[in-house]
Amino acid sequence: MSIRPSDYPPPWSPSEAVSAPSDPVDERIDVGFLIVGAGPAGLAAAIRLGQLIEEQPEVGERLGDVPVALLEKGKAPGSHLLSGAVVNPRALQRLFRGRRSLDELPFYGPVGAESVLFLTRRHALRIPTPPTMVNHRNLIASVSQLGRFLAEEAEELGVTLLPETTAETLLVDGGRVVGVRTGDRGRGRAGEELGNFEPGSDIAARVTILAEGTQGHLTGAALERFGLRGEHPQVWALGVKEVWKVPKPLDRVVHTMGWPLRPGKRYREFGGSFVYPMGDELVTIGMVVGLDYRDTELSVHDLLQELKTHPRMRRILEGGERVQWGAKTIPEGGFVALPKRFHAPGLLLCGDGVGLVNVPALKGIHYAIESGRLAAEAAWRTLERGVSARTALATYDDALRSSFIWRDLREVRNMRQAFGRGFYVGGALAGAMTASKGRFPPGDSATELDADQSLLRTSRASSYPAPDGKLTFDKLSSVFASGNRTRDDQPNHLRVRTRVPRELAELWAHMCPAQVYEVGEADGDDGLVEVRLAPSNCVQCGAITAKGGRLTPPEGGSGPEYTLT
Amino acid sequence: MAKTLVFLEHHEGAVQKGALGVLAKVPDAHGALVGSGVRALANGLGTTVWVIDDDSLAAPLPQPRVDVLAKLVRDEGYDTVLFAQSVLAADVAAGLAARLEAGLNWGLVDFDGENGRAPALQDTVVVDVGWTSDVRIGIFRAGALDAGELGGPSDVRDAAVELESFSSLATMVEQAHAEQQGPSIEEADVIVAGGRGLGQPENFSLAEELAKALGGAVAATRAVVDAGWYPYSAQVGQTGKTVAPKLYVALGISGAIQHKVGMQGSNVIVAINKDPNAPIFEFADLGVVGDLHEIVPKLTELVRARRS
Repeated sequence: MSIRPSDYPPPWSPSEAVSAPSDPVDERIDVGFLIVGAGPAGLAAAIRLGQLIEEQPEVGERLGDVPVALLEKGKAPGSHLLSGAVVNPRALQRLFRGRRSLDELPFYGPVGAESVLFLTRRHALRIPTPPTMVNHRNLIASVSQLGRFLAEEAEELGVTLLPETTAETLLVDGGRVVGVRTGDRGRGRAGEELGNFEPGSDIAARVTILAEGTQGHLTGAALERFGLRGEHPQVWALGVKEVWKVPKPLDRVVHTMGWPLRPGKRYREFGGSFVYPMGDELVTIGMVVGLDYRDTELSVHDLLQELKTHPRMRRILEGGERVQWGAKTIPEGGFVALPKRFHAPGLLLCGDGVGLVNVPALKGIHYAIESGRLAAEAAWRTLERGVSARTALATYDDALRSSFIWRDLREVRNMRQAFGRGFYVGGALAGAMTASKGRFPPGDSATELDADQSLLRTSRASSYPAPDGKLTFDKLSSVFASGNRTRDDQPNHLRVRTRVPRELAELWAHMCPAQVYEVGEADGDDGLVEVRLAPSNCVQCGAITAKGGRLTPPEGGSGPEYTLT
Repeated sequence: MAKTLVFLEHHEGAVQKGALGVLAKVPDAHGALVGSGVRALANGLGTTVWVIDDDSLAAPLPQPRVDVLAKLVRDEGYDTVLFAQSVLAADVAAGLAARLEAGLNWGLVDFDGENGRAPALQDTVVVDVGWTSDVRIGIFRAGALDAGELGGPSDVRDAAVELESFSSLATMVEQAHAEQQGPSIEEADVIVAGGRGLGQPENFSLAEELAKALGGAVAATRAVVDAGWYPYSAQVGQTGKTVAPKLYVALGISGAIQHKVGMQGSNVIVAINKDPNAPIFEFADLGVVGDLHEIVPKLTELVRARRS
């Protein structure tokens, strides 16, 4: 019998993330515009709103004491940001036009040389760079550092930043989003109130902009609540990366395909690796694998460790030292998985939360920034006299559809799906799609839910290298290198079935890069095993949501504290 | 030369070990004893000890202590006030820093009269820390210092008590103690810690027996606290307590870095684990590869025999 993760849905319903306002009106925190998530999208929206207030102070005055508030669940802006990252500067140039030049932003310079390699266990074959992957003129960055910079910029423009604050429920009143409720703090493991308990608050806003990033907690609930889901489901990939201090500079950006992934169609292993120089002293190396894979023993963390043992990679890292580690999911459904609409009454959705990612180009940061900027402008239009809020917010959809985001994503809309047919067939089809600028094939190929892929058992884990603490590392020391020091005695924020077939428990245990899940004993006659959890290890990558569970926000300030990722 | 005052926190008729460590660390430092009926504790510390003794200072509340220390610093011209980490010390130091507009560095492991040293980035490096304010306030990390050699007659001086009106607003309603046998893990010279390798919660009795024989306290790893085998108050590690006893005996503990950062300051680390590849053997002073269920009872017996 084949098992699918979706056969064991989590004890969670999207309606749990939606509620009516509950605080008395005089205890509510009233803000003008509320943005959830201090990532590239949310920060761009905040900065644009700050600029508009600066340009039209008389209009801004109508927004009250707190014109723009920005919620961030991490310890500080940037704490939960992780990406490659090679950034297309286009959207930042638009955001800062006439105000700042790109030289003032924390980039590690433009991409110089670049190589795309096809790896086998021992060899590396240089292949021509696919046109979608050409990075000429793009800039290398740590998105965590970029986020910190943008947050300072936003604060200078008068934006109120609220870090360590989760957005727990979307407040809906009379069919309209009126704000969010923030999460409680200081609860014990069983949910009891500890000595430092602080209840969450209702934050009421004229417009709420959700920029929660991948696996957005409220974004998912909003898509359900307002019937915004598109025709095809979203799919994700999991990326795990490390930042290394190296003795000799790396002179190029490297992408790899092939080993350690397997090309066979039945495995459904789509992904690759990236190695980028961050100045002369740092190198970042990461592995990304689509979560439509089937093998219960596949572990992206361990594949990254295996990748580093390749002679080509060893040469880059030799004599170096790992300084940081992190993991995060990436929405990969692209154009066909986009929502029907990007707005609802009182609500705008942007960035990775709605899947604005170009998989063949390995890019999404500039789409996040552009969508944040466009969302800010639509929100601002609600202040224009004689324009209804509904009409104003609807202009966001029009602006997105006529932006470069839309053109880019439409052109590559069927590429990711083609790789479900194995590496070689997928590669050939992707080539044809590029050559035809997306006109071939004419229709849309459907995506399939990651959790609907039936599981496959292999002995893959036996080939992963044993951690030596120098080049290769185990998961626990990696969690330490993420800066995670989450309070252990808080309520579990991960919703999964805790009695499942052994295959599914093993899938989760191997998949999770932070060693949250452990396979327990078979404790009954039904052959199911217990799943044990260590939730404070969680780095909030979101993979569990793609594979049959549900990540909800833990207490604000929990999770990794990335600085260089 | 710095003129340094050390806050001598006391509990149940004895000055806390940590505070004595700070006093011994800084040459010519003076002490401040604040409380009610504490005069006798000032003897034999071999330095100047200010005694601020008054009924109004009986309860261990921070604000009255901020008042008397602030006055002492201003009247006597102290430029440095040092504390040993505790809940009360953190409250008093923070209040004093605000009152004197002084900078506060915490987690110190060293102080040279001018600058301090403190671990940073989750203990991966030790950095120099300094002050830009006129008065320096610092909190030493728990277990960072030995009590060292203190002795000789004290020069006991009295200081007046003048409390601000707002400082008596808070009163102590009740003081409760968590049920505990033997010393707390922050104060113990010997710690016996148990990990998943104990096999089951009942086997913590092995650790308890050995700790009792050695006159020490019992600690636990996150994994076993998570599993509900032992209370959170005994958890040592990154997200638990940081300890630095003279002897740390690790039973069935693999030694993940999250645990290591909470106990790596221990003087002697002894590890008993059946897995020869466990990371703890890389930083233990003495490693025993074997079955703790056989070894520990025998060890306990030997310790008892030796002690009796």
